[in-house]
Parts: sequence; structure tokens; C-alpha cells
Amino acid sequence: MPIAFEKVSHVYSTGTPYEFKALDGVDLAFTEGRMTAVIGRTGSGKSTLVQHLNALLLPSEGTVRVLDREITAGSTPKGLKKLRGDVGLIFQFPEYQLFEETVLKDVSFGPKNFGASEEDARKRAKQALRLCGLEEQYDERSPLELSGGQKRRAAIAGVLAMDPKVLVLDEPTAGLDPRGTEEMMKLFRTLNKKNNKTIIIVTHDMEQVFQYCDEVVVMADGKVAAHMSTDEFFADSSVCRGLGILPPAIIRTCDALREAGFDIPKEIRTSAALAKCVAQQVRRHG
Amino acid sequence: MGSFVLGKYIALDSPVHRLDPRAKIVAMLAMLIAIFIPAGWYGYAVLFAAVAGVILLSKLSFTFIWKSMKPMLFMMVFLFIMNCFVIRTGEVLVTVGKISIYSGAVMQTLYIIVRLLLMIMITTCLTATTKPLDMTLGIEDLLKPASRIGVPGHEIAMLISIALRFIPDLIEETTRIMKAQESRGVDMKEGKFSEKISAILSLIVPLFVSAFQRADDLANAMEARGYAPGEKRTRYKVLKMRVWDWLTVIGANALLAGTIVIARFL
Ligand SMILES: Nc1ncnc2c1ncn2[C@@H]1O[C@H](COP(=O)(O)OP(=O)(O)OP(=O)(O)O)[C@@H](O)[C@H]1O
Ligand SMILES: [Mg+2]
Repeated sequence: MPIAFEKVSHVYSTGTPYEFKALDGVDLAFTEGRMTAVIGRTGSGKSTLVQHLNALLLPSEGTVRVLDREITAGSTPKGLKKLRGDVGLIFQFPEYQLFEETVLKDVSFGPKNFGASEEDARKRAKQALRLCGLEEQYDERSPLELSGGQKRRAAIAGVLAMDPKVLVLDEPTAGLDPRGTEEMMKLFRTLNKKNNKTIIIVTHDMEQVFQYCDEVVVMADGKVAAHMSTDEFFADSSVCRGLGILPPAIIRTCDALREAGFDIPKEIRTSAALAKCVAQQVRRHG
Repeated sequence: MGSFVLGKYIALDSPVHRLDPRAKIVAMLAMLIAIFIPAGWYGYAVLFAAVAGVILLSKLSFTFIWKSMKPMLFMMVFLFIMNCFVIRTGEVLVTVGKISIYSGAVMQTLYIIVRLLLMIMITTCLTATTKPLDMTLGIEDLLKPASRIGVPGHEIAMLISIALRFIPDLIEETTRIMKAQESRGVDMKEGKFSEKISAILSLIVPLFVSAFQRADDLANAMEARGYAPGEKRTRYKVLKMRVWDWLTVIGANALLAGTIVIARFL
């Protein structure tokens, strides 16, 4: 089933002096079952784009197709609840959405809204919390007593507990510590691989794109500047640099080594592999 | 939410924007008093003409003014209905079933509506053409005489400016939290009564939490930069009354006097 944009534009504050066209004729189809990164500068329209996926924002022009729903500009769609259950959206800084007395209650809020029984919701909430790395001891605490990173995990669990088919994440790891970031990214990758969830993730971190994602969408000034597989995107640094993006450290190192006369094959993706390759060539000479 | 324009500053370059905030505030007060003088339709015609002139000069579009009045429409309709039941003077205009509508009711309501419209137009002229910061400076200066008898002019001005400063932020925050909760299956529009309650709770609680958080942050930031309310402070921007500012004040007061004259003698 499609997750696609057809000639979609979005205008904020129409008819006021603050009118702004944040999306401009976007044509884009996300591939199901894959993990796609959406990148681009601040203000390029990434958040605006992804909020169309569960109809929080409606297109000013064009059509958005998500699973079995079709949302066309000008219509007022009804009964969006099912779509919101199918497409779980996690916002930039989601910790602001916590409101219940306890973490467990807050995480079960989503599933209950979608009709799960009290018991079922609790079960799912517990599962989601453990997945996100929050142990049993936090279940009965007030969300306000958690640290920033723990709040983030609770908020992410709140959406995972809904068990959506498509998971949309808007900069989910901004402000997390490096280890927390890695844990979260691995979790998303697992959900993608094992549970077969389509994942769309907005990020500024090229290392994350490089390590975890299958495809890349580059946004620039409200338009799609590029959409390709991660392999193509990072094949050499020219693609990145052409779009004004600093490639990941490992790609830059490979480039520098190539320039210095080493023969580095394209498949090299980790520092260990790179070290081995360089060592071999040095030994051959020595 | 994005279309909420009441009290918003609109950055344009016009003679009205350039006026001294104190002159504008005093002029606005004079006009507001003028509205409440029962000067009949002639008086209101003069006031309307004056306000329209100011709007033209300020380069604000009339659609903008219209938008800022929209939130009041509901109130006006409500007033009209109430008045129809209560006021029974003048002749009967129409009778619907047991209820008759009297000409007095219609006139009375029209008076109130005209006053409301004028009030909104005048205050919008002030808030849309004056930066919140300038407004505070103006209020502070105007309150200076009162500070001798213990009215904390500076603090009041600071309170007002902070409150104004936070309105757009809170609106944005509300939209954001609403979207986040909608993503979790909250239905802000449809749904049963009990669901509505839980929907409102899921909005209000995080909104309060973040408002307190912001207030805290701001207080800390101000203290960290050495702000102490009672202390004497110098100003980056020094207000100065020019010819046009005095003319504005005089003009508005002349208008007030004119309305009183009309009320008395016409
Ligand atoms: N509610 C709004 N009203 C008016 N303009 C808006 C609104 N929200 C966003 N914009 C504008 O639309 C543009 C795109 O915003 P968007 O939030 O999609 O950017 P982004 O790519 O997610 O940026 P970031 O990386 O900083 O999150 C920006 O220029 C922004 O100023
Ligand atoms: Mg964003």
C-alpha cells in the first residue's frame, strides 16, 4: 500500500502577512518495509512533510496517499482516528506530551484511545516501556520526575504501544546521550527488520543515516532535492557535497585516503574494515 | 490557531507606526472615553470616520481588522438575542410566536455593537502598530507620576510586556501539544463527553507544565543577567515626543471634546 505525495504543497497562515509556503510541489513515494531518512537544513520543511502522513496537516494543494487513505487538498477528511493508529508519529521533543499521573498510565493512553481494553493496554504499555529501556521501577513514577532522556523514552513508548504499521519519527534522538541515541536507533532498526514496520525518520545526523537507513530523502526549500538508496547516496562524497551536506566521518576518511593514493573499495563501511584494508596495502609495500 | 490576530503586532512602516507609544496610548484612552459618551449616531459617525482615517494611515488592511473582530461576532449575536428578550420599549417590529421584538431592543443592541466594534478597532490600531516593547516603555512612562504614591509602574509594565510576549508562544505550544495528543488517538473535535474531558486534560496538563517551566527559565535568565525590579535602570531606547505625537494627542482630545459637544447640543 502506498505512502505517497502527489504534487503536494502546504501553505502556513494563508491570507495573513505571515503566509509561508513550506512545501512546494512535493512528489514522493516512500518504500514500504524500509527505513527512510528525511534530511535537509533547518526550515527546509521536513517536519511539515511528515505531519502530512497522519493528516495532522492537510495539503493546500495535491494529494497524500497513506495506506488505504487518500487525502486531497480542499476536502475535510473525517474519521482520521484509524489512520492515526496506523501511522504512529513521534514529534520533535515529544516529552511535552506526557500528562498522566504515572508513566504506565501515560503510555497506555494511546492504546486505550484506539479501543484496547484496560488490561491489554497495560500489557502493551509495559512491553513498549521495556523495549525503550525503561525498567519496571519507573512504571509507577510521575512522568515529571523523570530525567529528560527518560521522558523522551516514555514518550516514544507511548507511541510504540499503539503498535502502528508505519512509524514516523521527527528527530527522535535530538538531545539524547550518545549511548541512548545508539540504543534508540538500534531499536528502530529492529522494529523495521523484525516487526516489518515501515520507518520514516527525520534526522540531522549523517552517521545515523549511514549506519541504519535504507533510503534517503533530501529536502531543500520545501522541495525534494533527492531521493535515493543510502548506498548510492554515500557511494562517494560528491553526492553529499553537491547537496551541501557534510558526509559521515568514515566517508571523508576514505576520500582522504583515496586522494593520498590508497586504493579503497566502495564497500568499506566501518572503521575496522578500513583499517584492515589500509594495513594490507601498507604491508604489501613494506 | 494561526488565524488568531487579536493583539498581534504587524511590522509595517507607516506614520502611525512611527508615533511615540505614549502619544498613541493617551490618544487611544481619549477615543475610548469618547465611545462611551452617548453622542448619538452623529457622534459615532465622526468617530468611525476618524478611526477609518487612522487605519488607512497605518497601512493595515481592512481584512486584518475584520479578522481581529471575528472572535467577537459570537458575543454580538448573543447580545442581540438577550436584548430581544429583555428590552420592551418602542414599537413592536416583528412577532414570532409569543416573542415580540421591539424597536428599542434593536436600537440598544446596535448601540452596543457599534461601541464594541469601535473599541476593537481602536485597540487593534494601537496593538498592531506598536511593538510590545515600546508599549511597555510607554506604559511605564505614563505610570511614572503614580509611582510617587507607591504604584510599581516599572513592575506593572514589565508584567504586561512579559504577558504579551508569551501569548504567541503559548498558542504555538497549544497547537503542538494538540497535534501530539491527536497522534495518540485523542479526538479534539468528535467524541463522547467523557472522551472530551480526557482530551482537554491531555492538553491542559502539559500546557501548564510547560508554561511554568518557561516562567522559571525566564526568571532565571533575567536574574542571571542581573535584573532586579526595584533598581534604577538606564534605557537603550529613549522616547521623545515630536510634533506629530503632540498633534495626535491634541487631535484625539479634540475629538473627545467634539463628541461631548455633540452629545450636549445636538
Ligand atoms: N505554524 C507555522 N506558521 C508559519 N510558518 C511555519 C509554521 N511552521 C513552520 N513554518 C515555516 O515553515 C518552514 C518549514 O518548517 P519545518 O518545521 O517543516 O522545518 P524543518 O525542516 O522541520 O526544520 P528543523 O530541522 O528546524 O526542524 C520554516 O521556514 C518555518 O518557519
Ligand atoms: Mg522539524
